[in-house]
Amino acid sequence: MNFSKTSPSIYFRHVLRRLEPAFYIAPSFIVLGVVLLYPLGYSLWLSFHRWTMRTFRQGVPFVGFDNYSTLFSSPDFLNSIRITFTFVFLAICFEFILGMALALLLNHEIKGRGIFRSLILLPMMCTNVVIGLTWRLLLNYQYGLVNYYLGVLGFAPVEWLSSPRVAMASVVLVDVWNTTSFVALMLLAGLQSLPEEPFEAARIDGASGVQTFFYLTLPLLRPIILVALLWRFIDTFRIFDVIYLLTAGGPARVTETVSIYVYRYGFQSFNLGIASAASFIMLLIMLMIAGILARSIGREIGGQ
Amino acid sequence: MTTQRKHPLLKRLNRLIIYALILLAVLLSVAPILYLFITSLKEPELAFAIPPVWNFTPTLRNYREVVSSTRFDRYFFNSVVVALSTTAIALALGSLAAYGFSRFRFRGHFWLRMSTLIPQMLPPITIVVPLYVIFSGINWVDTRQALIVSYLTFTVPLSIWMMIGFFDDVPVELEEAAMIDGCSRLQALLRISLPLALPGMAATAILCFLYCWNEFLYAVILTGREARTLPVTITAFMTNRSVFWGRIAASGSLVLIPVLIFALLAQRYLVRGLARGAVKG
Repeated sequence: MNFSKTSPSIYFRHVLRRLEPAFYIAPSFIVLGVVLLYPLGYSLWLSFHRWTMRTFRQGVPFVGFDNYSTLFSSPDFLNSIRITFTFVFLAICFEFILGMALALLLNHEIKGRGIFRSLILLPMMCTNVVIGLTWRLLLNYQYGLVNYYLGVLGFAPVEWLSSPRVAMASVVLVDVWNTTSFVALMLLAGLQSLPEEPFEAARIDGASGVQTFFYLTLPLLRPIILVALLWRFIDTFRIFDVIYLLTAGGPARVTETVSIYVYRYGFQSFNLGIASAASFIMLLIMLMIAGILARSIGREIGGQ
Repeated sequence: MTTQRKHPLLKRLNRLIIYALILLAVLLSVAPILYLFITSLKEPELAFAIPPVWNFTPTLRNYREVVSSTRFDRYFFNSVVVALSTTAIALALGSLAAYGFSRFRFRGHFWLRMSTLIPQMLPPITIVVPLYVIFSGINWVDTRQALIVSYLTFTVPLSIWMMIGFFDDVPVELEEAAMIDGCSRLQALLRISLPLALPGMAATAILCFLYCWNEFLYAVILTGREARTLPVTITAFMTNRSVFWGRIAASGSLVLIPVLIFALLAQRYLVRGLARGAVKG
């Protein structure tokens, strides 16, 4: 027997087997490292430097936390954070109330449920740019259908997109139209996976429909509500296209979310240091809140 | 007397109300999209007539004007090429990685798999700022490859996530049988598992394609006259004091039609994808 000859090859095979998963997984992660991690690191670097259209050819000076302190003393930036949270809060509230109602309706055994569900899903599939542009026509002050039919019903026309008092509501309205069906479908999937026994017990005990909903349905749906909430938070927090097309952040910045603020700073004033810093603050806020939500989802699922 | 059972008439009424409410929801969801299509078929002067005209002879004039507008064919081509190339690359990389996650258990498996969710949460504006600087450094701004590379940031993680689920559905026993019969693992993957996961791959491909086709923020920042895609192009119709409602509607419809066709084809999987695999099936 010649051990000295076979054992290195066994050892080699062993290493090869241990490395086998890497063969499948590494290509994706290498690509993601190059196209994602490197830019993110670069952005962090940028956020500590001054990069403007006029000066970057003479070099990009290190400025420490200047960009960050500029931002935190800038009323426009603080305004954009406030606007973002207002938008997130309003949109999510309406989407969950309406989405829950829609899910409960669709949970009934009715004819043609499949078709209804497909049709209700359509707004979610649409290209955001097209949604923005369609609603811009619909909400047009002079020629828009919405104001026309309001007039038919005897209401005064509303300056949907140009009045600082209404613009936020309009933007929320369009987002609600766009994504309520997503919330509804997730909740519906949740409703359909609920066990039947507790509901029968409640019925026998004479619980009213409202009681059953608040004491049974809602608590049982908690995990899926949290998951839907997480994704809706992420998507509303980083929203850009629809608002950009509807109002471009105006009038008077009442709909200027952080994404639009960064866009304006980065690509209209070409101050990319400031833009990077702002987008990093945005990222941190988002990861923090998403992390809290993800942890409570983990607890829900782990606790079951 | 309080009876738990409801009167039949009351029950019918209840049903009627449910139906009416659902129909209302359907109407509200579909009406704006229908409005866009109808407007696109009107003569330009009728497009913003008040009161609205519903009784008209449809015309394709708006579509002809949009299609013959400067470089529309090029921008259409850009959209198709970018979306298809990104989808192909993301699907190849994503399927391979997903297979690795689905068939092997190794140290850090869970965290590595979870880490593919994070890119799908990042605000695109955070990534596009540095990408813009990097691409201008290598003269890639306003090229199709810049868009393809930047779209990989969200399509690769998306396809990994979705394909893991589809590979998990393919029984391992089939592959093991093939390997006992003398196939290597790669052969087993290519001959057994891949064909079985094909419907899932199709769904993943459709979703990736739609994300790229619909994407706006990267495109508006990273492209100019040359590599522009359709979503950016149609916003150009919007800016001119908005008098060309017919053209706006027609260009919007042109972008939307393939989306709606694909969406209806792969609907079952789309919700799963839109939830980014955060919930099972």
